[in-house]
Amino acid sequence: MIKNCLITLLLITGMTAMAQQQPVVKVSGEVARPLALYPETLRQMKRATVSLKDRDGNDHAYTGVPVQVILEQAGVTTGKTLRGENLSKYLLVRCADGYEVLFSLAELDSSFTDRVVILADESGGQPLPAGKGPFRLVVPGEKKPARSSFQVTEMIIRFAKD
Amino acid sequence: MITGLLLTMVIMAAQLPAGQGPVPVALSWPDYFGSRVFLPADNPLTEEGIQLGRRLFYEKALSVNRQMSCATCHQQAKAFTDGQRFSAGADGVLQPRNTMSLANLPWVRQLFWDGRAGSLEEQALTPLTAPHEMGQPLDVSAVGLRQIKGYPRLFRRAFGSDSITGERIVKALAQFERTLISANSRYDQYLQGKYRPSASESSGMALFYANTDTARGIRGAGCGHCHGGPKTYSDLFHNNGLDSLPPDGGRQQVTGQAYDKGRFRVATLRNIALTAPYMHDGRFPDLESVIDHYSEHIAHSETLSPFLQQPLRLTTQEKKDLLAFLQLLTDSTFITDPRFSNPFNHH
Ligand code: HEC
Ligand code: HEC
Repeated sequence: MIKNCLITLLLITGMTAMAQQQPVVKVSGEVARPLALYPETLRQMKRATVSLKDRDGNDHAYTGVPVQVILEQAGVTTGKTLRGENLSKYLLVRCADGYEVLFSLAELDSSFTDRVVILADESGGQPLPAGKGPFRLVVPGEKKPARSSFQVTEMIIRFAKD
Repeated sequence: MITGLLLTMVIMAAQLPAGQGPVPVALSWPDYFGSRVFLPADNPLTEEGIQLGRRLFYEKALSVNRQMSCATCHQQAKAFTDGQRFSAGADGVLQPRNTMSLANLPWVRQLFWDGRAGSLEEQALTPLTAPHEMGQPLDVSAVGLRQIKGYPRLFRRAFGSDSITGERIVKALAQFERTLISANSRYDQYLQGKYRPSASESSGMALFYANTDTARGIRGAGCGHCHGGPKTYSDLFHNNGLDSLPPDGGRQQVTGQAYDKGRFRVATLRNIALTAPYMHDGRFPDLESVIDHYSEHIAHSETLSPFLQQPLRLTTQEKKDLLAFLQLLTDSTFITDPRFSNPFNHH
């Protein structure tokens, strides 16, 4: 264990010396294939545009990849396989500042809902602004924008085990 | 409340015959702290482990010059800080960042100002071995402890055999640190209906948690947004506007991401009146300067937190009220609790 820690420390020190890293969203947990989504990966996936109201009630269009598409690519139980015990699975979205929000898988699945939640990387043809991008979640139709979180870095799928 | 019981158990455990196996300990805390604690399954808390960890926390033989322990920098009377802007290591060289206070660590997932350690076990390696801290390799410390009367027995009681290893040293230290729970400030007494705050303390509390809403005539300082609910801690990283060109990249040094530049861990505000100077570089000598910073000196940059974009411009009275609330977070039983004190003083 100590050895592992030392190795981690060495790795971290190595990273410090390294120049800037590519931004990335990591997908892990109850997945068949863990993913690392870079800006160019997202551009090559099936994309969608959805709209989100800002504080003043004005609509803004955001473009990115539906979370369901990401989950399918990672081999998460979606669509027909989202039943039985798989309905007790959740997605935890973690952001750069440590902020975390949670969804049950059924909330994100087109066999349960028409709402399309996306991992957005552009708005109005532009990359997202510095404080919010490069990747943010856009969750249309919620009264509070609190789950439309900024600077997403991780998507973790797990079973609720209580 | 947590404490009396634990103490009795420690005393009882001390009288158990050897070979009985370590006695498990369950931490307790007020409900309003919530249970989002990080307690590793491979290092369960036991009376004997905690007792050993406390001793090691104060053990100078763990440093290269035998003059320094964790408690040199983390002093109980100052809520486990030392009042210095930068503390000197065993080799006399100053630390690059301000010493952090230690309280309510089970709720912290990523330790240090930049969150680079994922557990207390991993964290302890740094001060023990870093040349500008205690500066001694773990295996050398382990050999040293084997030579000191009493330790083989203490390790046997905590871990089942005499073997003294680096891994056991950090595990025991981590166990002790997890017991450093501060939950008996006047603010806690207020939350438990046992203390009536003054008018100024009440206004300070309201300011701390509220966001300014001009339309509805609400004044707020928005501190709770980052510093959390009643625990006055949440596990977040933010750039709180200290510099427009941060000389210390903070979180960016760990992740390599531009958006993390100048982000640091949101520090606990528990016992904050005891832990001056403030911020990762100890730049503010007192809480008045901290409040002035948030009120009128926020430095703008690309990574400045979105929650600090609007200047607060607090009035003199509002500043006084906020200060009164921060002083309510001092827990005098925590800093005098005999369970956390130097065990070498009692011999
Ligand atoms: C020379 C002074 C010094 C000594 C000795 C020292 N520390 Fe620290 N401690 C610091 C400083 C400085 C930091 C913040 C460092 C940083 O963030 O880079 C810190 C941070 C910590 C933290 C992180 C707290 C948090 O909320 O993230 C813990 C835990 C800790 N120390 C425990 C220990 C233990 C255990 C020992 C003994 C093995 C020890 N320290 C010895 C100065 C010291
Ligand atoms: C945007 C998030 C955010 C907000 C809002 C915020 N803080 Fe902080 N606070 C931080 C961060 C991050 C740090 C550590 C920064 C560093 O050291 O670089 C910190 C540090 C502090 C410290 C010093 C802690 C120490 O141990 O040195 C105090 C005191 C403090 N804040 C009080 C307040 C008060 C009072 C308010 C409201 C007026 C407030 N904060 C609002 C994020 C925030």
